[in-house]
Amino acid sequence: MTPIAGGAALNLAFGFGILTILTIFFYTRNGDQRLYLTGQRLALGVSFFVFLATFILAYQLIISNFDIDYVARYTSLETPVVYKISALWAGQSGSLLFWLFILSIYATVVILQNQRKHHGLMPWVIISLVIVQMFFLVLTNYVTNPFKATEADFIVANGNGLNPLLQNVTMAIHPPTLYLGFVGFTVPFSFGISALVNRDTSPLWIQSIRRWTLVAWLFLSMGIILGGWWAYRELGWGGYWAWDPVENASFMPWLTATAFVHSIIIQEKKDMLRVWNMVLIILTFTLCIFGTFLTRSGVMSSVHSFTASSLGPIFLAFVFFILIASFGLMYTRMNDLRSTRRMESFTSRESGFLFNNMVFVVMCFSVFWGTLFPVISEAVRGTKITVGPPFFNQINIPIGLILLGLTGVGPLLAWRRTGKKNLIRNFTFPILTGLSSAIVLLIIGYRDYVVISFSLGAFVTATITTEFIRGIRARNKKFKESPFTALKMMVSKNRSRYGGYVVHLGIVFMFIGFTGHAFDKEKEFSLKEGETEHVAGYEFELIQLSESERPNHYAWISDLRVTKQNGEFVTNLHPEKRVYFHRNPDVNRRQPHSELDIYSTLNKDIYSIFSAVDTENGVAFIKIMVNPLVRWVWIGGFILVFGTLIALWPRRDS
Amino acid sequence: MNSNKKFLLMIIGVIVVSIFWIGWVSTNPADEKAMATFVSVEKLMKDNMSQRTKLGGLVKNGSIVVSKTSYLDCTFILKEGNTELAVKYDRTRPDLFKDGAEVIVTGQYLNGIFYADELQTKCASRYEGDLRDENSYNLTEIES
Repeated sequence: MTPIAGGAALNLAFGFGILTILTIFFYTRNGDQRLYLTGQRLALGVSFFVFLATFILAYQLIISNFDIDYVARYTSLETPVVYKISALWAGQSGSLLFWLFILSIYATVVILQNQRKHHGLMPWVIISLVIVQMFFLVLTNYVTNPFKATEADFIVANGNGLNPLLQNVTMAIHPPTLYLGFVGFTVPFSFGISALVNRDTSPLWIQSIRRWTLVAWLFLSMGIILGGWWAYRELGWGGYWAWDPVENASFMPWLTATAFVHSIIIQEKKDMLRVWNMVLIILTFTLCIFGTFLTRSGVMSSVHSFTASSLGPIFLAFVFFILIASFGLMYTRMNDLRSTRRMESFTSRESGFLFNNMVFVVMCFSVFWGTLFPVISEAVRGTKITVGPPFFNQINIPIGLILLGLTGVGPLLAWRRTGKKNLIRNFTFPILTGLSSAIVLLIIGYRDYVVISFSLGAFVTATITTEFIRGIRARNKKFKESPFTALKMMVSKNRSRYGGYVVHLGIVFMFIGFTGHAFDKEKEFSLKEGETEHVAGYEFELIQLSESERPNHYAWISDLRVTKQNGEFVTNLHPEKRVYFHRNPDVNRRQPHSELDIYSTLNKDIYSIFSAVDTENGVAFIKIMVNPLVRWVWIGGFILVFGTLIALWPRRDS
Repeated sequence: MNSNKKFLLMIIGVIVVSIFWIGWVSTNPADEKAMATFVSVEKLMKDNMSQRTKLGGLVKNGSIVVSKTSYLDCTFILKEGNTELAVKYDRTRPDLFKDGAEVIVTGQYLNGIFYADELQTKCASRYEGDLRDENSYNLTEIES
């Protein structure tokens, strides 16, 4: 009964969607307020039925109703409740419903928030949002319905269960976070489209979406970082980023979105770059849909891809529809978009922003190029050439370093034009800091990108510090405030600026972490109890190899004693080799899993993987990696989130 | 030169440099592992291709042989359609590597043996339809 209700809710949402679009469209023709109010309520109705459908599916997952195909595929009676809920986004049809669910939350908030505001923009904002909802409603209603009944000629007593790799707290958080980011860009995109339709060239739409953009950007950033964190801690290949097509799919919209976050500042303050901003938000949104396409279509082989499905062509068609419709619309509005303002000087903040924007887009293009290289090379030369991480690193490291450098340059440039005197005054300290770090690093023996990256990091940090100190001093002088009060007041008066600086600092930390990758060491070896092996200045002794049967798996547990070469004790590591479903009589159905153990410090991570066990001879096969500075990436991530929150925090006086 | 033209030049400059850079890396990868050609096993053997290649196929049942002396050394037979090829791999094998698994290997073909340095199993999410026993759900084969 309830499954039917779920399907019916999705049907109703679809019907309401059509009505909303028609009603609001007629309102834009004849201006009858009653139509607009009806349309608003209908739009809320669409979201309501999506919520209902999602809650029904979640409930069915919790009570393990295996009459629903989706429930039987992704959960079993033994699956803990938390993961039963997270199964909502573990599979294809569920995750599409979940996309729609998040979009509906956003749509509801936007509509309620703007019930009496933005009467000019809102009608088309609602239409655009509902069109995107309709796309996902078509998918969940007609292509891959999450409420599909189980097709079996017997009663299903138990389901498949959720992949152990996905039974992990981060894995329960990472997809929703990423989705909140992906989906979030639908809102600024809808405002942009609406501004185009209405020929509204005032910076109004930009002002109304600033916060939305930052929220989406924050979630997207967090989603990406959490994904890396999960891969690092669970997958056991020792890294957090592999330039996998799906990782790239989330990184590309992040790059254009980051460019957008910067360039909207110019439109807000200077009313320039109108066309450019429109291009960026259209690209960002398209890349979000394209990302979902890459994840869901199975076009690219990747850890993320679901089994190849019929979704690919539909998604691709939607991507082209968005591109053609948006850019076509923009083309007809070119005359309205033209700004009268001009760039005045190279040494201005505007030009810094413009340059930063271009570099972001170049990076996005290079990632796009690499991701689609197999497709491109096959089309052009007839052979499918795949590119690996070294390719992406080679292309993107210099681009990334340029961006890092610009992070330090931008804030030092004044709006309109920076005079020579100011240039010298602003840049002396940061450049000296950067140069002296470079010299010290060269003397210690570092070379190449490592020196450039670290000294640019020092340069940017110096810039940020100067900005803070200068601001505090100025207030201190003017209002006689204590440094602490001055800092508080200064930040609360200009949250987006100082929040932005904190984000930049987070980026510096992350770059330091990335640079550590240049010093990674790894070794694979076998050990019996009592034997020792050394890796990168550490001794690893296998003290004991034990085994234990636990509720849902069987585990071999190693006890590795790690000491420095001089005998100083470091830590004990306990990586495990597990077999899930070990009682299954069919050996091939059992699932081995390596549970790794990491000893992490600010300086380096010692990363241990128990890759295999030879039970007859009592031999453990261990892989050890020593990865310097990885922790800086996570710390940088925290700082980035903190900085964005500062920028987002509502101002009290507004 | 007015400032508008200067900015136009700057933009064109950035675009030209970027295209050059991306084109250059695409044709001159610094690391030999940066690129691999995806080919069928049949073509690889017929053309005796010596460059770095990537192959996909299934692990032939019962073909995995682990060296007696070093557990990391292993050989197996990769099957693509009816073509078979011996593969040698001497690194940590992924958890999902087993008889019948769908794998992608990257490496070099030399004298009838494929020396792989990367082995990916496909793929974690496949787990979806993988587990069956007498009282569990009888799934139709992985939907297409």
